Amino acid sequence: MTQVARPAPGKPRRLDAFTLASEPGNERLALARVAGTVKDLGLSEARLERLKTAVAEATMNAIEHGNGNRAEIPVEVEVTLDGDEIIVTISDQGGEADAAQNAGDPEEPDLLKKLDGAQTPRGWGLFLIRNMVDAMNVTTDGQRHTIWLTMRTGGAAHGEHV
Amino acid sequence: MASTCEATTRIVPGAAVIELSGDVDGTAAAILTAAYAEAVNGHDGPEPVGTVVLDFGAVDYINSTGIALIVSVLARARAERRKVVACGLSAHYREIFDITRLSDFIELFPDLDHAVSQLTGPAA
Repeated sequence: MTQVARPAPGKPRRLDAFTLASEPGNERLALARVAGTVKDLGLSEARLERLKTAVAEATMNAIEHGNGNRAEIPVEVEVTLDGDEIIVTISDQGGEADAAQNAGDPEEPDLLKKLDGAQTPRGWGLFLIRNMVDAMNVTTDGQRHTIWLTMRTGGAAHGEHV
Repeated sequence: MASTCEATTRIVPGAAVIELSGDVDGTAAAILTAAYAEAVNGHDGPEPVGTVVLDFGAVDYINSTGIALIVSVLARARAERRKVVACGLSAHYREIFDITRLSDFIELFPDLDHAVSQLTGPAA
């Protein structure tokens, strides 16, 4: 009987890693490159669009809030496949201040409050990210602040159309 | 950063239409604000504009800042007692309108023809 070599189960495989200058608009480069990296991994069109939005929003946060739009400080992006999970990490140098902003997230965006002027119209970024991916985590190691986006290649989140 | 967003406005029976193209993001703020003002004030018809149609049919990308701009337009329209409807959104952005609850306040149509026919159709 012929045995087919298969990757060891559970061993993550890095698919891509790159850096971006912290300049407004560069989130579109991250979005396009990650989409190209994962396009053949079996994500449905709807879930690919969700991942693209999450990557763009997380990269925008890293550029603006993490690295303060300072072009010389790179945003680092890594794409890993771990079993059936695509994991995209986006790192900046915002450190504890950045973490506090994410962890704080004091008020969930409430459209009615925004329409009535009780909340700023902005503040949708983290809300969108959380709702786009299967899991979102944040870690901080010194100045390095990383957001982890996890998307399974198959299946759908509860109530999601694929 | 230069904006790729463009907006044109026109009047159709019963509504003013803002046709958007390109990216609806933070760079589109001035364009969208000016387009709204043009849509509701820049006509010489006898009736005030009661409904504003946002046509996203040629829009490639909407981010969280773009969502905030749409919220601002909706807030202004509500304060002026105008209705806002939208058309031409992709399935993905319709989902985002649902998640953010924008679709609770902005009726969505598949395209401009559907929106206009609904707005100009006979009353039920």
